[in-house]
Amino acid sequence: MPAIHIRGLGLVSSYGRGVACAVEGVRAGRTGITPLSLFSLPFQNQIQVNQYDHAPFPPGSACATATMQAAAREALAEAQLDAAALRDAALIIGTSSFLFAGEADYRRTLADTGEAVMPPLPPPGQAALHVAGLLGIEGPVLTLSTACSSSANALLVAAAMLRRGEARRALVIGVEGLSAIALSGFHSLLLLDPEGCRPFDAGRRGMQIGEAVGAVLLEAGDATHSGDRLLGGANLCDTHHMTSATPDGSAMRSVMEMALADAGLQAADVAVIKAHGTGSLDNDTAESAAMRALFGDDLPPFTGIKRYLGHTLGACGAVELAVFLGCLRAGFVPPTAGFASPDPALRITPLAAMQSAPKGPAMLNFFGFGGNYASLLIAHG
Amino acid sequence: MAKPVFIHAAAALGPRGDTAKAERRTLHGDPPPLELKALVKTVVGVSLRQASHLVELAAIGSQLCIKRLPCPLPEDSAVYLGTGLAEVRKNEAVFRQVMPPGPGLASPFDFINAANNMAAFYVAKLANLRARNLTVSQEEHSFEWALHLAAADLRAGEIRQALVGGVDENSLSREGHLRRIALRDDQPMGEGSGWLVLSVDAEQARGELLEVKRVTRDADVAQALRAWQRPNESLTLLPGLRIEPSEVRHLVQALPGLHVQDYLGLCGGFHTAAAFGMAALFDAPVAPGLFVHLNRDASGHAMFCAVRVLPI
Repeated sequence: MPAIHIRGLGLVSSYGRGVACAVEGVRAGRTGITPLSLFSLPFQNQIQVNQYDHAPFPPGSACATATMQAAAREALAEAQLDAAALRDAALIIGTSSFLFAGEADYRRTLADTGEAVMPPLPPPGQAALHVAGLLGIEGPVLTLSTACSSSANALLVAAAMLRRGEARRALVIGVEGLSAIALSGFHSLLLLDPEGCRPFDAGRRGMQIGEAVGAVLLEAGDATHSGDRLLGGANLCDTHHMTSATPDGSAMRSVMEMALADAGLQAADVAVIKAHGTGSLDNDTAESAAMRALFGDDLPPFTGIKRYLGHTLGACGAVELAVFLGCLRAGFVPPTAGFASPDPALRITPLAAMQSAPKGPAMLNFFGFGGNYASLLIAHG
Repeated sequence: MAKPVFIHAAAALGPRGDTAKAERRTLHGDPPPLELKALVKTVVGVSLRQASHLVELAAIGSQLCIKRLPCPLPEDSAVYLGTGLAEVRKNEAVFRQVMPPGPGLASPFDFINAANNMAAFYVAKLANLRARNLTVSQEEHSFEWALHLAAADLRAGEIRQALVGGVDENSLSREGHLRRIALRDDQPMGEGSGWLVLSVDAEQARGELLEVKRVTRDADVAQALRAWQRPNESLTLLPGLRIEPSEVRHLVQALPGLHVQDYLGLCGGFHTAAAFGMAALFDAPVAPGLFVHLNRDASGHAMFCAVRVLPI
């Protein structure tokens, strides 16, 4: 069976364009929290967001296409490939929704004409064929929309397609834009922390939403070659509740166990964990229980990175993989920004200070609404 | 050699609430809005009080499909759902609530139900399935890709059974629907869901899923159709939403003996109508033969779903 090599990464985030500037920001301990200037909300002063600089990109929904192209081209450049290398590649996009693009067009029309005419709301996969055309991709094109695990699942599906020989390369893009609807919905659910994301902290009150686009270029290759690899992973549906996890973490533990089995690893092999770590009461409680149950006393260091980037929802699989792997490549595991006080109820504490990147496999977890969970195992170096 | 994949149960829910062959009627014009609360209670056995219309369509179809199995669906069965437009009505609702001149705050229930994977969540929850769960959403070929992923995972031994469906809702008015899905004047708008239970177990199977295949826009479709046909086997084409009548006429000329089954006349036009068409094949005992669904996406690429109906 071929190995799945991670050949290139690309990113547009609130740190700017490129993985490197995000990694440097994280290394410097700067969060990517920004003012919200795209639109106004009645509760604007009660939330923290991560908004990327829209100035280099066209306005409206075209921004999504342009940012996806930018991230894809960065990934291609890292792989030292030209656009022709994507001709027979698969393009798999992960996004929770494309409503942000419909909102952007609506605001433009309203501003230009004064008319409030609701546009046809774009479905999640609307941009996929267009982006494929712009990148010259003739291979399989599909879009997964499984809430916050969307692009993590896109990585899993891409890896499976490569292992089966359906394509030699796969470009996975996670894309999410700031959306007034999403912010309003999470605000209504009391899931936004006015102080920003504080993963696993005793005072945590919820999420901090961000926008970003992450691209990951995968390639089937020789298993004997070293380098960054996607070792395996799994997806599972926790049917406990639409928006909250099985409290004892058993479903989260199951998906981590399934991911380890898929990668041919034991729990003891995991050197570091990038937790989902939304900073919400329920998620962090269940995720802590799952990690305690699976790893016991041998829990490896774990960290949450959503205060840096914001929770980029359906994009977070590709975005957080790009940034976390970028940090590992740069030789460090980032501390859990936003964490200050251990929560005795969780009985575990995340990494509070930067440490050197360990050699072994890393586990990356992603848990979404609709009980949709994904866990990935990667190797670096 | 690739493991064969078999179809063990199927169910299709049409735009009139039709769930069986005797209830299907050719649509003459757009069907009236469908009220599903009563059918949900009958089929699912519980009220889905906060669920969206899309969730109701998926829940009814998937539960009917499961009930047609000779034995319960195991808990480790995976769910693969294709939806072309995903949540239309709930997304419109939250859009009106939040965007100017709306009040600016989303209803929590509408927001939760606007999540595009909520239909697949309900399908799993109602069937007590705690396994892989994927929602493919990309207008054309959403169901075909869901079916492809399921079949590939079955063949690879990664899962043992799969519940695969396609679901889409209409947009309440033809004008609204046409802004999202280009229909010809003679095509009624439609909605519904179609479901198949797949496994690699041949026992008591009703059909075999031979292949889900994507070909480039300039591929020879007639040649591809012939590839699966056995000597003296009947071949029936199910033309999908984006197959023009002229292409069907061309194929009929190129393939003597080709039958054509116009299921779109029963369900109307929607992106995942392929799921309805393929599941409705099994509405009643049907003569064994080869059935191939064909559809194109906006780039012109075609996808085939080839099914062999087996003798009962």
